[in-house]
Amino acid sequence: MIDSTSARRWKQVHRLHGLLPLLPIVLFLGFWEFMVQVRGLAPIYLPAPSSIARYLFEMIADGSLAYHLGITFLRIMAGFVMAAVAGVFLGLMMGMSPLLARMVDPWIAALYPLPKISLIPLLIIWLGTGEAYKIVISAVTAFFPIVISTFAGIRQVDRGLIKAAKDLGATRRQIQLKVMLPAATPSIFAGLQLGMGVTIILVVAAEMIGGSGQGGMGYLLIHAGQIMETEKVFAGLLTLAVFGAVITKVQARIDRWIAPWISESH
Amino acid sequence: MDIEVDNLTQVWGGANGVCALDRFTHSFASNRFACILGPSGCGKSTLIQIIGGIESATSGEVRITDPADKERRRQPLGGCSLMMWQNLNLFPWRNVIDNVAFGLEMEGLSRAVRYARAKELLASVGLPKFENHYVHQLSGGMRQRVALARALIMQRPVLLMDEPFAALDAQTKIVMQEELARIFEQTRKTILFVTHAIDEAILLGDEVIVMTARPGRIKEVIPVNLPRPRSQELVNSPEFGRLYEHALRLIREEVLNAMRQQEAVDD
Ligand SMILES: Nc1ncnc2c1ncn2[C@@H]1O[C@H](COP(=O)(O)OP(=O)(O)OP(=O)(O)O)[C@@H](O)[C@H]1O
Ligand SMILES: [Mg+2]
Repeated sequence: MIDSTSARRWKQVHRLHGLLPLLPIVLFLGFWEFMVQVRGLAPIYLPAPSSIARYLFEMIADGSLAYHLGITFLRIMAGFVMAAVAGVFLGLMMGMSPLLARMVDPWIAALYPLPKISLIPLLIIWLGTGEAYKIVISAVTAFFPIVISTFAGIRQVDRGLIKAAKDLGATRRQIQLKVMLPAATPSIFAGLQLGMGVTIILVVAAEMIGGSGQGGMGYLLIHAGQIMETEKVFAGLLTLAVFGAVITKVQARIDRWIAPWISESH
Repeated sequence: MDIEVDNLTQVWGGANGVCALDRFTHSFASNRFACILGPSGCGKSTLIQIIGGIESATSGEVRITDPADKERRRQPLGGCSLMMWQNLNLFPWRNVIDNVAFGLEMEGLSRAVRYARAKELLASVGLPKFENHYVHQLSGGMRQRVALARALIMQRPVLLMDEPFAALDAQTKIVMQEELARIFEQTRKTILFVTHAIDEAILLGDEVIVMTARPGRIKEVIPVNLPRPRSQELVNSPEFGRLYEHALRLIREEVLNAMRQQEAVDD
């Protein structure tokens, strides 16, 4: 008798367990709403969660959110793909040719620590404030972590594995393709993840700076801010946060799919 | 394959480097099982890696010839041997069957042929049901079997083994030793087997080569004339005991030498 009730108790506790992370969020939003309503804070400083939600739904309904998010997404993809192709390619070449590595290394060492965002004025002079500038600034920024991780990944391949492959009859080319490349995959993917992170930052920043009427989440945020539509600013921030989280999750999935021998061993 | 090692010297890291081998000279006879015993760091891995064509020696020579070949033509180093590594060096991103079939894949054989051969090999080393597992999903003994199968599939006449069973628990080790003895008796390869374990060396080998502390030279070659097929029961025979005592005395001297060297370095 006692046993069965305690078992039921345990089941209830377990079911609650899954909801536990939501509790602080609900409490936080409730507190926020309460403070705004009761203390009568001006919505331009801190709008209530309920009115942010209303704005958010309006933006979803009239399609403007999808429009801006879509534009930002396409820019991110364009910048990221350029950086990924160039970065992985150069990183692999450097990893497999010490000569090339020696020649390219000083350039990377000099350019990597430079805050890429400081290139924005120069790029606007060269490229104007259109698409090209936004994509180039994000691609240039993402390029560095990708090329560095790829190069490091190839360089750190276990020498023993290379010797073993050679002993088993692998040619130089086969060692590159069947040993160095797969061994470096986790490192390459770590670089791509870092690259994706900075691409998002740079595209949104470039949209904020890059002139008018061109759309994108950065433009939406800066425009809403200028006309004091604080609810819209919050709605935009929330969207970007969710967007970032989704991209991170997707990347983790791809990572586990590409390199199952890494993720399962931990 | 007859393997003649002539005045092999290896100095790692330039003129003032570490001398790992010092004029090592020995003839390993074809189709025989030679065990190499010596204190840690005396150059055992260095020796078999040079014989396997993986590293090149500072000076001296390794000649590998086929006793069936009347003209005694020299075989290219590395071409007729395969190494089973001290730390196995399995490819973590490949599953078991693709690890075993790696060498055949490099030769350009079709997947069907590769897999058929790899499955045979996996069955023969007693690991038939794990072909789709990754290396990290296997126990230590299973990994050892995969590495052995990966080496055996190439059907090279010389097998070089660098402390392959050192990391195994006592029971698994006994099973693997018997497995290897069986494989040797069936395939009659020429095997060079590096080990730290005296009993293992006597149980498996036709001869036990005891090396000195670094720089590695031959201290003594102990012939082992125990009858084959051998089994673990031999351990209790008086002949085994005699050989063990003898090898132990030699190796103890050298381990003490190695420790003295170490102390001299530390001071
Ligand atoms: N690739 C290398 N480069 C430089 N030094 C090396 C290299 N390989 C081995 N050595 C050195 O040569 C010496 C002999 O090494 P080796 O690995 O052959 O010893 P070992 O007898 O196999 O030792 P253990 O029983 O511990 O495996 C050691 O001092 C080691 O540091
Ligand atoms: Mg060794």
